Amino acid sequence: MQAIRVENLSKTFRVKKKEKGMAGSIKAILHPQTEKIQAVNGVSFQVEEGEMLAFIGPNGAGKSTTIKMLTGILYPDGGRVEVLGIDPTKKRKQLAYQIGTVFGQKEQLWTHLTPYDNFRFFGAIYDLSEREAEVRIEELAKRFELGTFIDTPVRNLSLGQRIRCEIVASLIHKPKVLFLDEPTIGLDPVVKENIRSLIMQMNREEHTTIFLTSHDVGDIEKLCRRIIIVNAGQIVLDDSMKKLKEHYLQGKGVEDSAASDVSLEDIIMDVYKAEGRTAAV
Amino acid sequence: MLTAVKNQLRVCLLSLKYNIMREMVNKVTFLTNVCFMVLNNAALLVQWFILFRLREDVGGYTLREIMLLWGLTAASFGLSHILFARVFSLSELIIKGKLDAYLVQPKNVLVSVITSSTDISAIGDLLYGVALACACSPGIGGFFLFLLFTVTGTIVFTAFALLIGSLSFWFLRMDMLENQAVMGMISFATYPDGIFQGISRFLLYYIIPVGMAVWHPVHMINSFHAGTLFTVLGYALLLLTAAVCVFYRGLRKYSSGNLMTARM
Amino acid sequence: MRKYMVIYRSVLLENLQYAANVAMGFLGYFVFIFIFVKLWGYMYRTPEELIAGYTKEQMIWYVMMTEMLFFGSNAASVAREVAGDIRGGNIAYLMNRPYHYTLYILAKYTGEWSVRLPMYVALAVVIGMVMVGPLPHFRLTAVWAMALCVILGLTINAVFKMCISLFSFWIEDATPFQWLYDKLILVVGILFPVEIFPQTLQPLLKLTPIYTVCYGPAKLIVDFSPEKCLEILVVQILYLMVGCEMMFLIYRKGVKKLYVNGG
Repeated sequence: MQAIRVENLSKTFRVKKKEKGMAGSIKAILHPQTEKIQAVNGVSFQVEEGEMLAFIGPNGAGKSTTIKMLTGILYPDGGRVEVLGIDPTKKRKQLAYQIGTVFGQKEQLWTHLTPYDNFRFFGAIYDLSEREAEVRIEELAKRFELGTFIDTPVRNLSLGQRIRCEIVASLIHKPKVLFLDEPTIGLDPVVKENIRSLIMQMNREEHTTIFLTSHDVGDIEKLCRRIIIVNAGQIVLDDSMKKLKEHYLQGKGVEDSAASDVSLEDIIMDVYKAEGRTAAV
Repeated sequence: MLTAVKNQLRVCLLSLKYNIMREMVNKVTFLTNVCFMVLNNAALLVQWFILFRLREDVGGYTLREIMLLWGLTAASFGLSHILFARVFSLSELIIKGKLDAYLVQPKNVLVSVITSSTDISAIGDLLYGVALACACSPGIGGFFLFLLFTVTGTIVFTAFALLIGSLSFWFLRMDMLENQAVMGMISFATYPDGIFQGISRFLLYYIIPVGMAVWHPVHMINSFHAGTLFTVLGYALLLLTAAVCVFYRGLRKYSSGNLMTARM
Repeated sequence: MRKYMVIYRSVLLENLQYAANVAMGFLGYFVFIFIFVKLWGYMYRTPEELIAGYTKEQMIWYVMMTEMLFFGSNAASVAREVAGDIRGGNIAYLMNRPYHYTLYILAKYTGEWSVRLPMYVALAVVIGMVMVGPLPHFRLTAVWAMALCVILGLTINAVFKMCISLFSFWIEDATPFQWLYDKLILVVGILFPVEIFPQTLQPLLKLTPIYTVCYGPAKLIVDFSPEKCLEILVVQILYLMVGCEMMFLIYRKGVKKLYVNGG
């Protein structure tokens, strides 16, 4: 079964234009000018259940906007979205029970509470009974090794510990799809590696579909079997990790792909440069 | 349906508990905040002692009615800022794209958002309001009416703020207007309606609904009138429905943090 | 002195940008004045009646002037900034700069109200002319003296608010004390002139900062007399000296405490 189906998805934002300085401000009040920004422009793709997908692109390419439409945060202007067979615009709440989200730069935890109290709160949000929550917290705490700091207020935790807690909080209700928006941002290499292996484990043991955006090539390489690159609101590449290198070199006219030494980073950079900057924000 | 309501309530109560816990970390600060708010409100009674030295009535109100008016305004303001504090900064949340976290939760967005913070000093307002009402010795019936109108007043204040705040989905710069509109409403609500005549009186009863929130109720605690009671209840319900509709209509235009980044 | 001028000027320019935002504050001012026009309209039974020696026009103009000072100065920003610096730990950097922290804040604040206040003056004049009518016996020639009193009054107010905020060195949240100070000023200074209070209280009220911060300047605008002006100026200068001395003292003690506790 397909976990995510997206057809011809679009979203535009209207942005008020304002010239610099006092005169500009006055002008903006008297005669406001708006500019359309096409954040997502006719995007279509599908994700199988249990897949691990990297959804990447340069800043302002439309990654976050797409994720937000998939999770029901933003309302699309055009096209269709189905996550686990549910339309996020129509049955947002029903969908919310089945998906989890981690936004690396935005915190959903209460900082003055301990991770344990936070998890209890999220348990209540997802209608878990006290007993169910207890069992699930214990299970996740063991797996994510939270034992030593589960009773320390979140504001006293290190960034790595916090991110682990953020991920646990979003897994409390056993989501079928997990959306990760730059989960390893700002972390040191050891913690990054630790987070990655935990995500791998989740995928293996609970068959969770992983939808990941990241600027970190390591994340993508280690975690994902498929990659979608968006730029200027459109998909410019959708390929399996295995075939990516081969297809890329064929496109370049290189016959013997095995002999050529090209890294994923080179390919991504090349795709960004070729397609991007035409509609730079 | 009933379990959904129960579950929602469970989250709201937990949220309230955690909010108060956060403030209770420093008990001294917590207590001074609450006590000083009571003193702060009480200080304004001086104004009325002065005015009643000049005339026996102000806008048709005796000192007792002024105290009821203040009690009701303080209690409604307090209750709305304890339970629904976030509604009063809704504009900011919308403009800065801070609704995301609530939109991915399987709960009612609006309820989750507005119950997500608590204004601690508002406890002082609520206590002051109730104390002032008791000081007027309204009798058992009067006191129950006072409590009922505290609830309707809370609904009117909250719905009004929600309505204005929700306009931020369409217009920028509503954050300042929201603040001004709510503060303006509170200002009007602490003066007797008798001093306003003509158009301003009409506006204050129906458009900026001060009359529905406090003036009608004060008159009714003095001499009950069933018709007016239904007007107040009906109005509160209508305003709330309208505000909720506008919020959900606007939510479709919600732009998350994307506008922020685009604007830079 | 020059460095404080530079601070003043840079903030002045920055704040010109925010002129549009201030327009919103006008609405709040208008609401207050509207209520008071209606309130005094009710309290005065006949147009000729005098209350505490004030005609209806003078009474309304009085509250318009005090509210104008209150809205136009936005002294809450001083309180917020100082409390924020101390609680946020920023103070550790600011106090080692080659200027005195408290004077830096004062210069900055003066730059802020230099933009705000003139706008409120213009607004007050327009509202007053339309809703109340011109102020009887206004002495245009004495405007400079009134302006001097206003400047001194606002500065004294800022000094007092800063003193309260400086308590943040010792207590976690000084805001509740700010509320109380503000309410005192509001009830005893902004809403009514001192003459309206019982005879026995009046001498007492004249000893409080209200007399110099609020009542003094507004009284001079509404009902100017050279003797009154001299009296108020003398009291203001005394208050400013005592207030500054107090501010420096609290600041010194606070900084010492900070050093002892290592920030």
